[in-house]
Amino acid sequence: MSDSVIVVGAGLAGLTAALLARSRGLEVRIIAEGRGSLSLSHGCVDVWRDGPLSGAAGDLSPHHPLRRAGSAGMQAALDEFLTLIHAAGLPYHAATASPLRLPTATGSIHQTTAAPFSLANGSLDETGPIHIGRIPEIRDFSAGLVASGLRSRGVANVAVVDLPLPPAAAGRDASPQRIASRLDRPSVREALCRDWAPRLRGVRRLGLPALLGLAQPAAVLADLEARLGISLFEIPTLPPSLPGLRLEQSLRRLCTARGIQIVEGPSVRGEVDGRSAGRRASGVVAATAGGPRRFLADSIVLATGGALNGGWLGFASGEVQDSVFGLPLDAPADREQWVTIDPFEPQAFARFGLRVDSRQRPIDPRGRVYFENLFAAGGILAGADRTREGSRQGIDLASAYLAARGIAG
Amino acid sequence: MTSISSGDPFDAPATHLSFFESDLCVKCNICTAACPVAAATDLFPGPKAVGPQAARFRQPDHPALDPGIGWCSGCGVCSRVCPHQVPVAEMNIVAKAETRVSPREALRDWVISRPEEVARWGRPLRPLLRWLFESAMLRRVAEAWLGLARAAPLPEVAPLPLRALRADLVRTEPPGAGPDSHGCVAYFHGCSTNDYEPWVGKVAIRLLESLGLRVELPPQRCCGLPLQSNRDFAGARRRAGDNLASLHRWAERGIPIVGTSTSCTLALKHEYRAILGLTGPAADAVAENTYDLFEALELVAPPLEHWNLSPLPLRVLYHPPCQLLAHRIGTPALRFLHAIPALEVTVSESECCGVAGTYGLKSERYQVARQVGEQLFAQARQAEADLVLTDSETCRWWIERHTGIPARHPIEILAASLGVDSDRPLPRSARKR
Repeated sequence: MSDSVIVVGAGLAGLTAALLARSRGLEVRIIAEGRGSLSLSHGCVDVWRDGPLSGAAGDLSPHHPLRRAGSAGMQAALDEFLTLIHAAGLPYHAATASPLRLPTATGSIHQTTAAPFSLANGSLDETGPIHIGRIPEIRDFSAGLVASGLRSRGVANVAVVDLPLPPAAAGRDASPQRIASRLDRPSVREALCRDWAPRLRGVRRLGLPALLGLAQPAAVLADLEARLGISLFEIPTLPPSLPGLRLEQSLRRLCTARGIQIVEGPSVRGEVDGRSAGRRASGVVAATAGGPRRFLADSIVLATGGALNGGWLGFASGEVQDSVFGLPLDAPADREQWVTIDPFEPQAFARFGLRVDSRQRPIDPRGRVYFENLFAAGGILAGADRTREGSRQGIDLASAYLAARGIAG
Repeated sequence: MTSISSGDPFDAPATHLSFFESDLCVKCNICTAACPVAAATDLFPGPKAVGPQAARFRQPDHPALDPGIGWCSGCGVCSRVCPHQVPVAEMNIVAKAETRVSPREALRDWVISRPEEVARWGRPLRPLLRWLFESAMLRRVAEAWLGLARAAPLPEVAPLPLRALRADLVRTEPPGAGPDSHGCVAYFHGCSTNDYEPWVGKVAIRLLESLGLRVELPPQRCCGLPLQSNRDFAGARRRAGDNLASLHRWAERGIPIVGTSTSCTLALKHEYRAILGLTGPAADAVAENTYDLFEALELVAPPLEHWNLSPLPLRVLYHPPCQLLAHRIGTPALRFLHAIPALEVTVSESECCGVAGTYGLKSERYQVARQVGEQLFAQARQAEADLVLTDSETCRWWIERHTGIPARHPIEILAASLGVDSDRPLPRSARKR
């Protein structure tokens, strides 16, 4: 049996590419070596850290993934994402004119383009006093660090309020994920509010580590705000990070509901269509529990990620190849040049990746496509240092959008 | 009760999982975030903590076990979601086999890990067994004395096993090479279909025959998975050895081995090699030639548009068992279910129904197992499903008990739509709409 599209990878780029291809009427299958790493992420959409993309897109190198999308393409991709995530029951707030400024768990300020409402509520551009909740049961979040960090960055009026958890919410192991699941239950929320209400006199806006519900976060947030009579916002924590986990679960649920098959677990190797004189890819061979199994498709999208996600492999010989088709990446043969010793300096390997044409198809150094029906999206693309640029999710969404359009033709 | 004489060739330590595999773990917590047991109880520290993290402190003669590992149900979600191919579940199952249990639990586990023997001895006593299983008082006694959860569903032994019902297909030798092997399929029924649900096997065989395939029943016995899950690796290896000795002769002829029980086929594909350490050409040939029934249909059946599927106006919830997802082939049944006209299919959003084979039968685990399944039970009720469809028998028994909704194998509904006869038609109540 054969699908119209196989997407390799289940991170933000893969899930989005699959959903956008599906919404264009195509039969889609996702194959992923393990789960994507969205649960390690803050759950926001960073498009361009330093301001609106419209100001920067023109200055980017011609091979930068966002240059290809342009600010109009980026906006269209973001709009489609917002529609999807709204349909999945996890509405996001987008601020395209000037970035949202949100507090982080270390007290720094995270500039981003779109965020779930529970995070966007923490916008530092809103005036008025803020309190950060100190929950002693939680090991990996320091309210004092957040408050002092924000103050040192010029945010006035930040205070800390002690908020121990009632036993019903804390349980035996107070990890944010476990607390979030407990808060999905109204009885636990009631117990929490009973304990917290007297401690919150005079508090108008309260920031908490992200733990306000897992299955129904929008309902949990609204319910707690109504019961406590204050405005609440969340700050992402160490993994598992609830905002990232919610985004992952929402997109996966939407995939399943829309008839996208997800094959989770096997690593894959690309296969060339023997009847096409090497011009087309026929699909992938997956290392399933029993043995190699073939999955065929008309089009294949590589959404395998970058250096940290398994999208490419670097060899002692100095060769760097994508991990599915073994396509050579644009990288210096001298391995000494891959990294800089100072970890805070720009790293050459961050820009390794596949160059693509206007339809997101990987191309060789002379600009010819490797395969007519092979597409790429997300971290596997060359030419961007996504961490330094603050462009990670912007590239994921824009390239997923261009790939889905490229496939649909 | 897992006493094995020393020098038993099957009683080798599980050395094939090296300590180095824990070094592949980058502690990203993706497995912990996905673990259905950790989500259900704080008592389980999660797969990362008891697996790759604790493995660094384990030595062959110092297992150094956190008793928390006993909460692992073996559902395998952690290994499947791991982006670094750390065999988390496999490590935990091997480590768990070293845990000590009370004599009471050991006796109970000895019994529940031998479904084949229970059926053999119990078949002549069927009426008595049924009465025993249904008597609330006796179930209370079994819970108190044996630790067998009184509310857990127990299957009924069928009057005749599949191998008797389809004695015409029983073979001791594979067909000759060449044209004799062409269009031939070896059916691995496992003990559960053979002894407890022979109608599933019968309808699967009829469906395969209706596609022009010739089905054979090679010599086989229980896959050994219940023994493996209950710490008796030596017993599991003996059963595995018998199955490999028989099945590899079919596999080497290139004859697909097809099963309807996803945990049994997973044992053939994966556990024999990865957990029991039975490596070699026979194990590889069997693993590579074993297919879940729907996986096989995708390969051998004509394209779906050529199927003459009649409408089934039913609302169903399809739950792919954790043991099927561990095959790493996705959910091949779904494409067939979506093709049945008028069938309304909702797909489960749960990683596991909770029972995980024999885990939910244990009184000390029952509440947690049930909690694991709560989200699934709620989804089935909310969807107002006429039927729950799921590929594993223990999941069917468990889900049916906790939702009151009849649970069937997806092949039964595909057969109904194809007009293939079944001994057990779809429930009448479900046909009203």
